[in-house]
Amino acid sequence: MIEFSGEFESEHEPEELWKYFTDPDILAQCAPGCDHIEQHSESELSATVAVGVGSVKPTFDVDMTVVEADAPNRLVMHAGGDASRNSFETVAEMDLLENEDGGTTATWNAETNVSGLIASLGQRALGSVAERLVNNFFDDLEELADEGVPAESKISAKPDATASLDE
Amino acid sequence: MKPATFEYHRPSSVSEATELLADLGHDAELLAGNQSLGIIMANRLATPDHLVDLDRVDELSGVSIGDDEVEVGAMTTHRDLEFADDLRDVLPMVPQAAEQIAGPSVRNRGTLGGSVAEADPAGNYPAALVALDADLHVVSEDDGERTVPAREFFIAYMFTDLGPDELVTGATVSREPFPVERTGMAFETLKRAAQTFPTVSAATAVRVDDPDAADPEIEEARVALANVADVPLHVPDAEAAVEGTTLDEDALDEAEAAANEAADPSPEMHADEEWKVELAGEYTRRSLQAAYKRAIND
Repeated sequence: MIEFSGEFESEHEPEELWKYFTDPDILAQCAPGCDHIEQHSESELSATVAVGVGSVKPTFDVDMTVVEADAPNRLVMHAGGDASRNSFETVAEMDLLENEDGGTTATWNAETNVSGLIASLGQRALGSVAERLVNNFFDDLEELADEGVPAESKISAKPDATASLDE
Repeated sequence: MKPATFEYHRPSSVSEATELLADLGHDAELLAGNQSLGIIMANRLATPDHLVDLDRVDELSGVSIGDDEVEVGAMTTHRDLEFADDLRDVLPMVPQAAEQIAGPSVRNRGTLGGSVAEADPAGNYPAALVALDADLHVVSEDDGERTVPAREFFIAYMFTDLGPDELVTGATVSREPFPVERTGMAFETLKRAAQTFPTVSAATAVRVDDPDAADPEIEEARVALANVADVPLHVPDAEAAVEGTTLDEDALDEAEAAANEAADPSPEMHADEEWKVELAGEYTRRSLQAAYKRAIND
C-alpha cells in the first residue's frame, strides 16, 4: 500500500470551495487526464482518466463512491480503476479548515493499492508524479474559483458506506 | 515481445509534426531516435496508437554557435554532439555528456531532444542542461512557440512541463557566464559497467578570475547532479561553497557536504540510498576539481 498526503492553501472560504469540490463538472475540468465524469447517483460517479509516467500512460475506467460528505468540512471518497494491465484502488480523505484570514487549508491523504505495470515504477516515482498531479488539480480548481466560474454541490454521501481498501 | 499495433507517421517538417500531435494528442508518442521508446513498446509497457517519427525533420538537427549563445537542435544525435569539435571548444560539457551515453550504436541514433523529453533523472543531457541553465524550446500547433528554463522543465520522475501536443525543438545555452579562456567544464559519471546507465553523474562548470594567476579564484560555479533525485538536481549550495575560493580543501568539503545534503535518491539494485548520497558528494568534488583544472590550464 502506498500513502500519499499533502496540504493546499486557498484564498476562498470552505463554504465556497466545497461547491467546487462537489461539482462533477468542475472536477472533470480539473482532474488530470480526465475527459468527463458521469454521475450515476448522488454518491456514485464514473470517469475515464488517462495518467501516466513518461510514455507509460494507461487509461483507467474509474468508479468513485462518496463515503462521507460533511459540508463544508470533510469529504471521503473511495475510488477504483482498471486499465489494460493496470489497476488501482484508493481511499482519499480531505479536510477543509477555515484560516483566520478567511481562506482555507485543505489537508488530504490517500491510501492506495496499485497493481500491474504502474506498480513496478515504485513508490518514489509514483509519489513524485502523484504529488505533482494533485497540486495541478488544486491549482486548477483554485483558478476556477478565482474566476468565479459557477459551481454547484451535487453529491452526497452514500448511506451506510464505509471506506476501506480490499486486501 | 513485439510492440502492439500502431500507426506510423513520418513528418518532414515541424509544422507537419505539430499538426499530427494536435490531431492525435494523448494517443501519440513522438519518436526521436528510438533508443528508449522502442524497448518500452516491445515490452508493451507503452502501447501508443500512433508514432510520430521525427527522424526526417531536418530543420530540428544541428548546432549553431553564436557569439552570445549556442543552440542545439532537438534531433541532433549524441554522435554528432560528441564529435562537434567547435562545440567542444566553447561548451565542452555538452560533448562530454554526449560521449558518455551508452555505446556507439545508441549514440548514432539517440538525440538530445529525445533524452530531454524522456526526462529520466539519470540522463546525461538533463543534468548538463540544468547545470548550464539552458532554455528549452517547445512548440505546438495551438500555442506556438514557448521557452521553458531547463531548471523548470523537469518536474518529477519522467514527468515534464511538455504538453501532449507539444514537441521539444531544441536548447539554447548562454555563453556569457562562461568565456572560453577562463572556464572549465566537466561531466563526471560513475557506471557499474561500460555502456550502462550511470549510477551517479555530476555536471559542473567554473569560471575563474585569472587563469594565469598563482591561485585563480572561482568567480562563478555551476553544479547539477543526475540520478540522485527524481529530477536532474541543481545544487546551488555547492556552487556557493566554491565561489570566491581557490577550490581549497575546505571549499571542496563544503561543496561535497552540500551535495550530500541535497541528494534524495531512490535506491537501486546495485546502489542503495546511503551510497548514492555519498557518491553525490564525491562526484561533485571530483568534477569540480576537473573543471577547475581545465579552467586554469586553458
